[in-house]
Amino acid sequence: MINEPDTRDLLTEARSVLVDALVPDLSGDQKYQALMIANALGMAIREIEQREQGEPETADRLLSAFLAERQLSDQSSQGEEALAQALRERRLEGGDPQLRAVLKEMTEARLRINNPGYVT
Amino acid sequence: MSVLADTFSDFIVQRSGARSARVIEFDKLSGGAIQDNFGLTLELEGGERPGRQAFVVRQDAPSGVAESLSRPEEFLVLQAAYGAGVTAPEPLWLCEDPAVSGHIFYVMARASGTASPRKIARGELTEDQRRHLVRRLGAELARLHTVRPPLDSLSFLERPADDDPARSRVTHYRGYLAEIDEPHPVIEWALNWLEDNAPAPGDTVLCHCDFRTGNYMVDGDELTAILDWEFATWSDPCEDLGWLCSRSWRFGNHDREAGGVGFKRDLLASYREMSGADVDPAVVSYWEVMALVRWALIALQQARRHMSGEQRSLELALTGRMVAQMEHDLLNQIPELEEAQ
Repeated sequence: MINEPDTRDLLTEARSVLVDALVPDLSGDQKYQALMIANALGMAIREIEQREQGEPETADRLLSAFLAERQLSDQSSQGEEALAQALRERRLEGGDPQLRAVLKEMTEARLRINNPGYVT
Repeated sequence: MSVLADTFSDFIVQRSGARSARVIEFDKLSGGAIQDNFGLTLELEGGERPGRQAFVVRQDAPSGVAESLSRPEEFLVLQAAYGAGVTAPEPLWLCEDPAVSGHIFYVMARASGTASPRKIARGELTEDQRRHLVRRLGAELARLHTVRPPLDSLSFLERPADDDPARSRVTHYRGYLAEIDEPHPVIEWALNWLEDNAPAPGDTVLCHCDFRTGNYMVDGDELTAILDWEFATWSDPCEDLGWLCSRSWRFGNHDREAGGVGFKRDLLASYREMSGADVDPAVVSYWEVMALVRWALIALQQARRHMSGEQRSLELALTGRMVAQMEHDLLNQIPELEEAQ
């Protein structure tokens, strides 16, 4: 179904009206609330953009490879759950550089949506 | 609102022994999902506090956090801290009869200044003023940490298992994480590290446990009050120092480890001078890691309050999306500490 302008476009425009036209006239609690809305819209826009671009999910691939190599893949649980459980049960060495690389990539993938400026 | 102002005013008249009171100002203060805070200025005639007096009334709000103290407990903690010479708001009267206002509440003296992290950490204090403030924070913590168990008035505070605050926190936090229906491998990994690297237990003292920029008031460059005592408990003194220095509470001033205001070396030097205790910076760093884990878990709990419908709130929802920041900080800070060892 063609339904244009698309959602990303609508959200992007809504966000710029909020930030450029409304926020400058607000203060105090109202400004704080408006900026929270802008923040939430920004996350939604970035999530849609990532999906549109079909960005290869490095984190997912790294995680699957890591789990497979250590024979931790388990059909009954998702990748992250399997990793969390293996750590909880102390079946992984915390200092393992490969483990740390997987954790880092997973975290950065989230930050690219939630707060891109935080990844330095 | 004015009915409530009269209710509190009548209570203060009765407790202070005043002949009468006139309400000059009454407003709800911002901050506090767990409590409602009201500012109340009265003109009191007679009694133990005659004249114009500014008070804060603190009472339970509809939503609570499991970990936090009740109002009467908080009042007793505040009395203990104030009695030890900590710059806390003077605790005045506790009302344990919910029939009076609909909630249990207490009254304290109102401090001047601001608690806004933006104004304190990102404001216009000079380098000297910042050092002065940070040294003051160290001295305040040293005073607070002179309060030690056992203490009859604080018998409701649980002592950490085996008097080992670090390991007891790890056990506690594993329990919190188990209740979150979403995997968080980074937090699991960090908890393992905290367990394996726990320092030998030191002294157990009264800790504020939410001692950070945003929870103290500053007027000019003078600290006027340490606020928000609802998480206080017996713990390791370095828990308070580590929480204040945690990367999560620097408000953009990442190089200023002490609350985004100043430097850790000044904080620890002042703490040492006032307490006579030799604080190991490595133990403070350990508790900074603990602080990241704790804040990540609180953020996950807050997001769940929103998601469950218990308290729909954009602020709580966005807090949930902050967890990746704490996880990112953990992934950077733990290797840094390992390299420094």
